[in-house]
Amino acid sequence: MKRRNIAAACVLLAIAVGYGYQTALLPARTLPNTPDPSFFPWINTILLGVLSFALLIQAVLWSNDERVMEAQQASVPAIVALGLFLLYLVAIPFFGFVLSSVPFFALFMVLHNERRKLWLLIGAVGIPIFLYNLFKHIFGVSLPRGIFLGLLG
Amino acid sequence: MSSEVLQGLAQASLPTSLLATAIGSFLGLVVGMIPGMTISTGIIIILPLTFVMDPVISIALLLGLYVGGMMGGSFSAILLNIPGTPSASATAIDGYPMAVRGEAGRALGTAIIASFVGGLFSFLCLYFIAPLLAEVALKFHAPDLFSLLFFGLTIICSFAARSLIKGLLSAVIGLLIVTIGMDPVMGTARFTFGQVNMMAGIHFLTAMIGLFAIPQLVENLIALKSGRDVGRAQSGIGSIWPRLQQLKAIAIPISIGSVTGSFLGILPGVGGPIAAFISYDYTKKASKTPATFGKGCVEGIAAPESANNAVTGGALIPMMTLGIPGDPVTAILIGALMIHGLAPGPLLFMERGDFAYSVIFSFFWANIFNLIIALAALRLLIKLLATPKALLMPTIAILCVIGSYALRNNLFDVYVMFSFGLLGLAMRWLDMPVVPLLLAMVLGNQLEEHLRVALIGSQGDVTVFFTSPVSLFFLCLSGLSIFWSLYTGKGNKDKQ
Repeated sequence: MKRRNIAAACVLLAIAVGYGYQTALLPARTLPNTPDPSFFPWINTILLGVLSFALLIQAVLWSNDERVMEAQQASVPAIVALGLFLLYLVAIPFFGFVLSSVPFFALFMVLHNERRKLWLLIGAVGIPIFLYNLFKHIFGVSLPRGIFLGLLG
Repeated sequence: MSSEVLQGLAQASLPTSLLATAIGSFLGLVVGMIPGMTISTGIIIILPLTFVMDPVISIALLLGLYVGGMMGGSFSAILLNIPGTPSASATAIDGYPMAVRGEAGRALGTAIIASFVGGLFSFLCLYFIAPLLAEVALKFHAPDLFSLLFFGLTIICSFAARSLIKGLLSAVIGLLIVTIGMDPVMGTARFTFGQVNMMAGIHFLTAMIGLFAIPQLVENLIALKSGRDVGRAQSGIGSIWPRLQQLKAIAIPISIGSVTGSFLGILPGVGGPIAAFISYDYTKKASKTPATFGKGCVEGIAAPESANNAVTGGALIPMMTLGIPGDPVTAILIGALMIHGLAPGPLLFMERGDFAYSVIFSFFWANIFNLIIALAALRLLIKLLATPKALLMPTIAILCVIGSYALRNNLFDVYVMFSFGLLGLAMRWLDMPVVPLLLAMVLGNQLEEHLRVALIGSQGDVTVFFTSPVSLFFLCLSGLSIFWSLYTGKGNKDKQ
């Protein structure tokens, strides 16, 4: 946890500096006795800076350096799942909700150890189509159709 | 009864509202009992469906889910020794040994009865305390409101975090995020980087979907891959009705749990798990046979179960009267109300008293339906424990996308949701709680607004926060909560 805390404190200190810089760029208002729009962000900057520094000091002086092996071992499927999710989100504007969801759903099922083809087919095709129609016709929410389907009209 | 009370009762008792409450209760029981699914995740999944519903129906559905989820968590705790929700952790201590002994049905029956009584007691607290508190809160001025919100934030940092510094950091990150968009007093664009999508700010429901659901998906996958996934529940549970002797034995534990849970529920950030363990501890200390605790006694189930269900009504009190969420679920409920143009707080009782009471009575119905459904469909619910994760998890993932998209019909929100998912994972990795961040996102704008309005009113004089007795009281409480955290060792928790 020690290294993690030091890394987090450094990242947060950097964010405090960046946030403070952006706060300094905010427009000033000249109304009398009125706190600027930058007033609250300045408080946040100071709080973030002080607390991040406190975390850094605490990590350096007191934290132990235990390692979480389990999390490291299991991180590969987690990264794969997140990568898959990201690809899915990138695909939605192009292919629309249904076409993007089918392969994503199938791959996510495979990732969860599902190998039965019929189940994969029912889940990956059936559930996205059901949800698309449920939201479109019952709840009046049109999910993205995608650029390619949009071009087809 | 005033006309508003009667109108609220009538609205909550409409067939559509009752149906929504019943469906919510059923879904809540299912969500609560499936290990790896939290009530927050369940509500997030259902949330997009409520956008187009009438506010009364929408809140009835969500309240049903909230109350049902609390009870459902005990089922897997008793049958599998794996609490479906963190609030049911204490229930497993005596519930599972009873199940092993062949008394699973009686353990479940005890949990159902205790949950019902706890929920009903907290309904009475909600019904009687909430309007009074709202009346008091109406007299608060900007400095008082600022100090009250500040207290809400500090106390949640003290309770929700293992390390005070990390809790406070989490809250400050939330405050940073709410400054994105238009400033609440002058309407100046801040930190938008010229992006039109950023002008409206980051919607906290989008953030919440990411913060809760994505880490949950990842954690479930890791559990599956590392062989920690749960087994199947036993199918035969025997009789669910406790013996007369057992019913007598649970009377005092239920009373302790109901009072403790309702009181602790009012405090933001305490939540079900703490209330459950505290009432378990009190009951054990008050018992004539403390040695039987942990070996499968009904008192050890009744106390935590009544407490965690009593927390639900308690948590609704600050939400309804002060606009301060007591836990993540009530934060989502605030979001759900805001989508319908209703802002929880003292004005809700004054301007929309009928709606405020409909929420209170929907909570009552949720407890009634919870009892009926749990007793009638217990065996069916147990079978649902075997729901295949391979279907459930991708469905949740897709619903996260739909939920964040449907909020403003904007794909930008979907990317924001995913980014918050990564933030949530990073925070778990760092053992940093997400609840203070969430609360800061809910309260941040109001906090800034009241701070600036108070300073404008006092011509920039900061002593206004110390000269108002109410404000000073809440500031002292904030100081006490931080001091308490430091005193109990949370300030240096990481060194342990």
